[in-house]
Amino acid sequence: MSSVPAESAAVAAEERRWRLLPPRLRPRAEELKGRGELRLLETLVLVLVGVVLATATINDLARQAGINHRLVADLATWRHYTGHDYHNISIDQETLGVDKHREVLCGNTSPGAPKSRTQICLAIWGPVVDGMRTVHGGWYLPAYVENDLPDERYGCFGIGGLRRCSR
Amino acid sequence: MSVAVSSERRAAHIRSERWAPALATLLGLLLVAAAAEIVLDGAAGISPLIPKSPQIAGWLEGVGERLGYRVFLIALLVSSAAYGGLIALAARARAASEDAASGAGAGVVSKRFAIVLIAALQLIVFAGPILLSTDVFSYIAYARMGVEHGLNPYTHGPVAIAGLCPSGCDPVFKYVGHDWLRVATAYGPIYTLLSYPLASLGVVGALWGMKLEALLASAGTLALTWRCARARGFDPVAAILIVGANPLFVIYGLGGAHNDLIMMLAMMAAVSLTIAGTPTGRREAGAAAWVVAGALTKATVAVLLPFMILSRRRLAPILGTAAALALGALIGYVAFGIHGIDVVAALNRDAAFVSTDSFAVEIAHLFGKPGVFPVDHDLLKAGLVLILVHLSWRTWRGYDWVAASGWALLAISVTSTWLLAWYILWPLPLAVIARDRRLLVATLAVQALFILHQISPLLVPVQ
Repeated sequence: MSSVPAESAAVAAEERRWRLLPPRLRPRAEELKGRGELRLLETLVLVLVGVVLATATINDLARQAGINHRLVADLATWRHYTGHDYHNISIDQETLGVDKHREVLCGNTSPGAPKSRTQICLAIWGPVVDGMRTVHGGWYLPAYVENDLPDERYGCFGIGGLRRCSR
Repeated sequence: MSVAVSSERRAAHIRSERWAPALATLLGLLLVAAAAEIVLDGAAGISPLIPKSPQIAGWLEGVGERLGYRVFLIALLVSSAAYGGLIALAARARAASEDAASGAGAGVVSKRFAIVLIAALQLIVFAGPILLSTDVFSYIAYARMGVEHGLNPYTHGPVAIAGLCPSGCDPVFKYVGHDWLRVATAYGPIYTLLSYPLASLGVVGALWGMKLEALLASAGTLALTWRCARARGFDPVAAILIVGANPLFVIYGLGGAHNDLIMMLAMMAAVSLTIAGTPTGRREAGAAAWVVAGALTKATVAVLLPFMILSRRRLAPILGTAAALALGALIGYVAFGIHGIDVVAALNRDAAFVSTDSFAVEIAHLFGKPGVFPVDHDLLKAGLVLILVHLSWRTWRGYDWVAASGWALLAISVTSTWLLAWYILWPLPLAVIARDRRLLVATLAVQALFILHQISPLLVPVQ
């Protein structure tokens, strides 16, 4: 019973505090029930953002599936070319250019822990034909080399290996 | 005619009432089975989805098979579909119970069913190995750096405790993610101090401690979500079901023992103080202090403060913020020096990271760019600032501050170039108690897109 006048007194004090501001800028305890134009505009923006995010997600999913398809072919190509059925093969998509669909795959030349043997790196690009792509060259890396850098490479061969070795 | 339609609807409702509880049970069982499959297969050993870890779930070994992408993604999709079905049923039950004519349906997803299901899901994940992330090992490494090695985790990365690896380094070192070895902690001083008592328990003891912390934080968050939902007149059963049975919450959040759950607990403690019970100056100051405590765990939650203060327009939350900030800064400074309270530097550093799951990267790919560039970071920050200004203005004019806070957290995760699954959990407890139901729809939609983005190994498996 007594809380109602106290509440209205608090509301009045709140209103007095902000009376210097124009009515459009004054704070409100609750939103006015308007025609809902702002809410409609917000919803429209949200739907548009949702459509962009959904399109981007589906596009990226298709892109990833395409990359996976290519990488499966790359792995098969590396195994076919070297004659080794190894599973620890590193794939580098940057050395030969990002988004050029050209990959460098490195793996051991003999059985052992990853990178614990001399590695052979193959530069692979081109279309996938019968589940494989074309080897355009490559190079070797000594055992225990973590990063594939020009100073570490030797025995560069083919177009893919052209000017890729410092020594 | 209307009598015939009415009786037909009633008959259809009675029919649906019969199958709805059975369907809810089936969906619940699917959720449990999917979680169990992931945990049991994860416990089987080496998997790309299970970080290298000490053997903490050895007693589950031998039940499942090595967890591969295919099984994991199928389990994730099954649990997402079951979760979607379950919350649709809960929403339908609520709509039916609100319908005075029918007066039925509320029992489809009962309180007991929801609590048993959530408890089962969380305990299954708690009992298993760490899933999908090495973050918890970084938490332990930072704690051990401080306690065991006398190093400041705000100035050194875990590489500082490498010592003479592999023989002489700290035992947690080998489990820390490679990308984080040289990165000093980005977490707040309260969280770092909270993790210190676990450091001396050894890696396995600390790991269980972290898992227990995450479990308790999750339980606390759910209890407070229940309290807030009831205070606002929403169905508390549906609210806890939406949060506690969420596959990203259970598998990624709890499965990785992420400290985001502790941040969310502090967030919900703050919200609970303002909306459940009679609002007083002390409660409002306490709420602001809880937000600061959350921000000194993980800085993101600080975004709630402007909305809380704008909606209250009273001195109490400002004083609560100032007092908690002063105390937290003092503790942080005494414990870790100036780096312990330099949250801005940590946030700036983390904002530069890029993950392939971020929407920013997906949009860059959509426009034919290979990824995000520095200018994109600036555009995203500008977009986020615009959103925050709009939300602040709306809150000033009477919009629900809880909803505004939820939108802000969702906007942070969507505009971030470093998006991880547990980041899109932040707005979820707020979304279920917000007066603007669009927030819940948007949060769940963003989560669904995140899950969809994971499934490419299912489309073309890489051997």
